[in-house]
Amino acid sequence: MASLSDTPPPRQLPRFWLEADPTQKLAMVVGAILVLLAVLTPLIAPFDPNAQSLIARLRPPVWMERGQPGYLLGTDELGRDVLTRGLYGLRLTMMLAVLGATLGLLIGGTLGLLAGMLGGRTEALVMGAVDAQIAVPFTLIALFLLTVLGNSIEVMVIVLGLAGWEQYARIVRAEVRRLMRLPFIEAAHCAGAAPLWIATRHLLPNLVSPLVVQFTLSLSSIILLESTLSFLGLGVQPPTATLGAMVGIGRDYMPTAPWIVLVPALFILSVTFAVQILGDWLRDRADVRLRSR
Amino acid sequence: MKRFLTSTALATAMATSLVGFAEARDLTVAAANVSDYLDPGRDHSNVGSQYYFNSFDPLIHKDYTSKEQRFLPGLATEWTLVEPTIMELKLREGVTFHNGAVMTADDVVFSLNRMFQADFPPYQVRMRDRLANFDRVEKVDDLTVRVHVERPEPLFETLLNLQQTFIIPEAYVKSLAGDPTALEHDDYEAFSLKPVGTGPYKVAEFVPGQKIVWERHDAFWGDSAPLDRVNVLAVPETASRLTALRTGEADIATNIAPDQLQLIESDPTLKAEGSVTALFHVMIMNANHPKLTDPRIRQAMSLAIDRDLLNEALWLGKAEVPSTHTMEEFGDLYMPELTTFEYNPEKAKALLAEAGYDGFEITYTSFPTYYTNGLLAAQAITEMWAAVGISGKVDVQDKWSGGSPDMMARNWSNPMYFADPFGSFGVMWAPGGPSESEGRFNTDADYAAVWDKFRFSADVEERKAAYADLMERIAANPPVLPLYRPYESWAMRSDVNWAPQPGHIPYVLDFRAGAISFSSN
Amino acid sequence: MLKHVLKTLARMSVTFFVIVTLVFFATRITGNPVDFVAGEGLTQEDRALLIRYYKLDAPILTQYTAFLGAFVDGQFGLSFMERRPVAEIVVERLWPSLQLLLSAMLVTLALAIPLGVAAAVWRKHWIGSAIMSVVFLGYAVPNFVLAILLILTFSYWLNWLPVVGNATPAHFIMPTIVLSGVLISALTRFTRNAMLDVLGQDFMRTARAKGLPETAVILRHGLGNAGITVLSVIGLQVAGLAAAGSVVVESIFAWPGIGELLVSSAIRRDYPVLQFGVIAVAAAVIVINAVVDLTYAWADPRLRREG
Repeated sequence: MASLSDTPPPRQLPRFWLEADPTQKLAMVVGAILVLLAVLTPLIAPFDPNAQSLIARLRPPVWMERGQPGYLLGTDELGRDVLTRGLYGLRLTMMLAVLGATLGLLIGGTLGLLAGMLGGRTEALVMGAVDAQIAVPFTLIALFLLTVLGNSIEVMVIVLGLAGWEQYARIVRAEVRRLMRLPFIEAAHCAGAAPLWIATRHLLPNLVSPLVVQFTLSLSSIILLESTLSFLGLGVQPPTATLGAMVGIGRDYMPTAPWIVLVPALFILSVTFAVQILGDWLRDRADVRLRSR
Repeated sequence: MKRFLTSTALATAMATSLVGFAEARDLTVAAANVSDYLDPGRDHSNVGSQYYFNSFDPLIHKDYTSKEQRFLPGLATEWTLVEPTIMELKLREGVTFHNGAVMTADDVVFSLNRMFQADFPPYQVRMRDRLANFDRVEKVDDLTVRVHVERPEPLFETLLNLQQTFIIPEAYVKSLAGDPTALEHDDYEAFSLKPVGTGPYKVAEFVPGQKIVWERHDAFWGDSAPLDRVNVLAVPETASRLTALRTGEADIATNIAPDQLQLIESDPTLKAEGSVTALFHVMIMNANHPKLTDPRIRQAMSLAIDRDLLNEALWLGKAEVPSTHTMEEFGDLYMPELTTFEYNPEKAKALLAEAGYDGFEITYTSFPTYYTNGLLAAQAITEMWAAVGISGKVDVQDKWSGGSPDMMARNWSNPMYFADPFGSFGVMWAPGGPSESEGRFNTDADYAAVWDKFRFSADVEERKAAYADLMERIAANPPVLPLYRPYESWAMRSDVNWAPQPGHIPYVLDFRAGAISFSSN
Repeated sequence: MLKHVLKTLARMSVTFFVIVTLVFFATRITGNPVDFVAGEGLTQEDRALLIRYYKLDAPILTQYTAFLGAFVDGQFGLSFMERRPVAEIVVERLWPSLQLLLSAMLVTLALAIPLGVAAAVWRKHWIGSAIMSVVFLGYAVPNFVLAILLILTFSYWLNWLPVVGNATPAHFIMPTIVLSGVLISALTRFTRNAMLDVLGQDFMRTARAKGLPETAVILRHGLGNAGITVLSVIGLQVAGLAAAGSVVVESIFAWPGIGELLVSSAIRRDYPVLQFGVIAVAAAVIVINAVVDLTYAWADPRLRREG
């Protein structure tokens, strides 16, 4: 007779998967697929993203009339494959978003930390800079940076990174100020601990959670900012494909060749969906953990 | 609300048509761009040229319905060359400006001398490239003037038909700023916000960059304006411009790219009118860029471009690809027999090899939206370059970079400012002209000598021979490649009968008598 | 309280002047309006001529001093493009932008707060998820795509709504929807989160224990307390999001607003317009910020001591 101890235990799905609700599960799956697509793009994309085919411009997806075989989701205004450009766009946009968000986190987080820890004039300076950033429409800042530094991918990362640093700074500063008042920090001070040690040992671990949440949320706002910059003509230089550039340039063709906008827009939607849901999920889990301490 | 308005409008229309006032009507134009100022003397932009003809007149008009040059009386009723360098013109009587003032020789002298003897920098800039030969105008009596030129001018009438010579009222201009009896620069600045002319429509309202409202000028000397009122609204977004036609917010929309034509053609309530514009989209190359000094490289850059394919792909074949820098409008001076530019990728490759091209990157700079299909063409061209082995890169810039020593290649336009090769190639590629003075084009004494014959010779054959010579020099050491004459389109509601007229400079919105009418349904 | 006010004012003034100075120098480093005023093709001597005429060849510090003088005599100069006083241009365009912003804010507040509360209260229910999903779309679709979709649907195909300008109330509908799309999304999420924070807290349990009906509990006690946090966020988020969204909306709907003016004057290096525009917008934002800051401090005495 078989006993419970004979049968091997059922394979355990990770706890976080089991605890998630259907929407969150969907977000995780979508997110994983998107990351996979982005990473594998050079292998799976059917064409070169810049390969033009001037005689086959503005062709619809392959299942529609006038569709060109091979160009699964149609061609754009220069006869380039929309699916390929969408994939490369996804890849590049996600890379820009991650790099930009990281830059924002580093700049904002560091400045916020300094402001919170050092207080006084440092804090006033940093908060003043935050105020200034809020008061000037970011499009102007972006325009200035792009003009002075040139319009390249690297500069775009800087621009996108600077777009959100003040959020990080404010979050970190608020959190640091709260933490600095806690007895254990004071105790560490009295015990003669160096500020850097305090920062790394006591402050940073507590900052990880809100920073991660903000990072995830800022990814989607960076992607949307990129598309606004493209709308204004300040985006990446053609022929480089980013999701924002495809949507920005493709908008003139929405009535006649909507696939040019739909493909990148759906990618943007999916990334934003995955990122927002997962960001909320992270925040909920972080809260639960904090509360249960 | 809209249905209420429509039925009222319908009732009114029916009522008025019964009484016979069928054409008294308003029109709204959704324009891609509205000028920031309205002064025909200081303006030569493609945007500006849309808006002057309805409100101003030159001394000499022409038959704008035809490509041929047939000059007609304008504000001058007759003219004769009393000496080789002096033309005497008799002025039309009873011409009233929009502000009620009567036109006299003083106004003509004032208007023209402000350009010919310009001391106001914006006028000086415009004057130099085409009116440099004009010395001054003098009043003979209240209705007679004499125009003096420095050298005998083969293009006298053509140049007195220019937008920059449109006549404006002296007393009014002086009264606008500072001392009302004195002429100050501030007067000119103020004039460009509140322009007054002699044309069939007066400028009733002008919000720079956004809106122009024209109203019929009842005291116009010629055939009465067919429209009561014209509203020109700036609607920069293409989708909005076209939609405005559908909702009835506009009757005509400007700057419709060929890719949008299909949408209009499939819509029974709309139609499109277009024409091959009297203008070239060109690619210019910097002959003085350290890497491009070898003419063979620039020849290769030129030979690699399949302009016919660009035409098929970007313009539905409706643009015109020229074999040399010439246009039919030049009449006797039209020279299609010259072959200065061609597509020959094999020759391009050979030349690159000969010149020892090592693969350095050549940037092609482009405005983002200023030229229809400009950015698309830039991308297509860099791909065509890649096919012959040139490593190309598109660089999108809002700023004009023609004078920058780093500029390698970029897009530009060579409009036909007036119907003569001097009015197109001539304005841009003269010795000491805009191109040379920007440091990307070189001329020598030889070129200048041939140039002089082309510009000033009274004999047509001699001018043609000189022009052919100039074209050969351009082929040997290319600074420019005319890509095509773009096919520009306007979309409008189907009941509007309007089309751009062949005798105008590019983009003019002409709503004078005979130029526009409506079909009644 | 007074000390707090003065400190805030002082800080804001410094920020304001720093911004204005930075914009002044930044624009001059990056290009010359003459390259944009004359379109394509100017000879070098003509370019020099125009530069002299527009007084762009004065040393940069001289220009700066002259610019600072403008704060005293109110003469901020003429636009290079339009040749009329910049104050006139900016003020002309400020009002339509404010109207649109107000209309978007009203719609946002009217929709986002109830939706946020509902999403929080019914967070386990499908209603909560549905609300968050729809609201999410307002955020995840690039605003100009949304704008064009609306135009194609409601103007092009259905012919219900006008598309050009701001002449009638009907003209406000689509621009408001587009502008508030992002705002509603952000505010709904924020309200929901603030409500969630509050719903679990002790004073809510007390209110329920007292026997108050659930609605009263939620609205008076929950919302009241969450409201403070929401309020503090509104000022800043709105300013930022609205500024970014307004350029797009103004271009697409030909709305004569200031967002589009700022960008186009920046692109064309029309310094006087850009400077004055930034001054106006920065001043407005700073004032809003200060008001929100002070209201927050007034409403929550705990914060004043941190000032």
